[in-house]
Amino acid sequence: MQRRAAFSAQTLAVLAALAGQPSAWRHGYDLAQETGLKSGTLYPILVRLADRGAVEARWEEGQPAGRPRRHLYRLTSDGLAAATAARAVAVAGPGSRPAVSRRAAGRAPSARRLAGDGT
Amino acid sequence: VKARLTELLARALRVAARLLPAPRREWAEAVQAEASLLPAGWPRLDWLAGGLWMVLKEANVVRKVIYWLGIGAVAATAAWAMWLSWRAAQVADAEAVTDRVRILVVATAMLGLPWVARRHGWFGPVASTVPARLTRVWGCAAICGIGIALLRADSHAGGNAIGLKGGFSALHEVAGLVLVAALVAVPLIVRARRPSVDPSTLWSITGVAGVSAWMLLPLQLLAVGYVVAVLFATSRRAPLASTQLVVGMIAGVVMGLIAYGLAGLADQLLPVYLGLLAIITLAVAGTAGALAAWLLPDTAECGELREACIRQGLLAGAVAGAAGALLLTNLSLFLFFTMIIGPPAGLVGGALGGAFAAMHPLKRGPDGARAWGLFVSGS
Repeated sequence: MQRRAAFSAQTLAVLAALAGQPSAWRHGYDLAQETGLKSGTLYPILVRLADRGAVEARWEEGQPAGRPRRHLYRLTSDGLAAATAARAVAVAGPGSRPAVSRRAAGRAPSARRLAGDGT
Repeated sequence: VKARLTELLARALRVAARLLPAPRREWAEAVQAEASLLPAGWPRLDWLAGGLWMVLKEANVVRKVIYWLGIGAVAATAAWAMWLSWRAAQVADAEAVTDRVRILVVATAMLGLPWVARRHGWFGPVASTVPARLTRVWGCAAICGIGIALLRADSHAGGNAIGLKGGFSALHEVAGLVLVAALVAVPLIVRARRPSVDPSTLWSITGVAGVSAWMLLPLQLLAVGYVVAVLFATSRRAPLASTQLVVGMIAGVVMGLIAYGLAGLADQLLPVYLGLLAIITLAVAGTAGALAAWLLPDTAECGELREACIRQGLLAGAVAGAAGALLLTNLSLFLFFTMIIGPPAGLVGGALGGAFAAMHPLKRGPDGARAWGLFVSGS
């Protein structure tokens, strides 16, 4: 029986988006736009990644004028290692490639980038 | 309309966020904060709808709704059955009154047991596998079905569905109920107050209370026993794996249908039918036991594997015997006695099947695949 990938295509897309700028704090809508994921998919992934210690979250400091404070996210060192490992698996070839569905991969540009597609 | 819908969803999200435990609420707040920065219209609406879905999933709201719908269904079935009984049964029919009490006791057990033992998880919550959930729904529905069939039979003048005569005795009922309560409560209390107590003492107390209650209320206890078995077998603490449940349930349904197909014999040649019933139960439960054992993942030690095979077969066989008996009693109340002999016969058949599987393990190929005739299962 083929082993399932540790991360789904959507999770890989989120990891790739965060790993693109590892030191920057990103907000939800920004990640949603980059990954093409809806909030109902993106946030549960962020919750799970935060639970696993792969993502750290904090609220924006100070009260910005005319808008509420945003919740911000970035990868921890463990998360960055996990993202790098996932990328290595994705580019290693079909045998070790995680089971990423064509539809999900096509929808999520970050997943393609993670797999080294370059498109 | 969009603005109104957006406002409605934002309010629903704020309310739903309260369902989440405190550390999780900030995620709902994050979605809300982000929503106010999105362009108004569909993008904001879509974002809020996704956030609401996330909160409902995180708070297990769907599961809670289904759970309460299940409880409501059992309570409504019991209430409806009582109403039917009062309307249709003979006013002075003592057996009908006894049946009402039996059904109330069973419905109370079905609704109350998961709540009573919720801290230890013996009867609830249900295990998070599909087979466990389906088995619990099927088992509870089958028990409710027997109750309704019983009341329906009572509605016919002079009808006594299962052939047991005897008047209604309030003393028997009350004493029996007290004993059933003691059966559940005493071991829990003793264990809570004296954690170091010898398990054999607890089993002795349970055994004495159980036998006494059985003497007073054989049918109630049988039905309550089935409720306990269904709830326990499908709880998170259950020793049954999904494989045993699936194999046992399928075998039980097959067994029930075969036995019901031959039920015509029971009127003419009861001993022959009983013999056939025993053979069918042993054969089907044995097959279930062997299948469950063959599906067992490999264990290191040969002796350990044999024990595991027999245990798998035993449990799958017991499930098959109980499921078959429940189905058979639903199809014909006259065959209620299969609820007594079904599980032990299934247990024996399953153990034999498990032992057979231990002696004849399926050959594995070099890549770890098992040969299944036309089929090959990967590892």
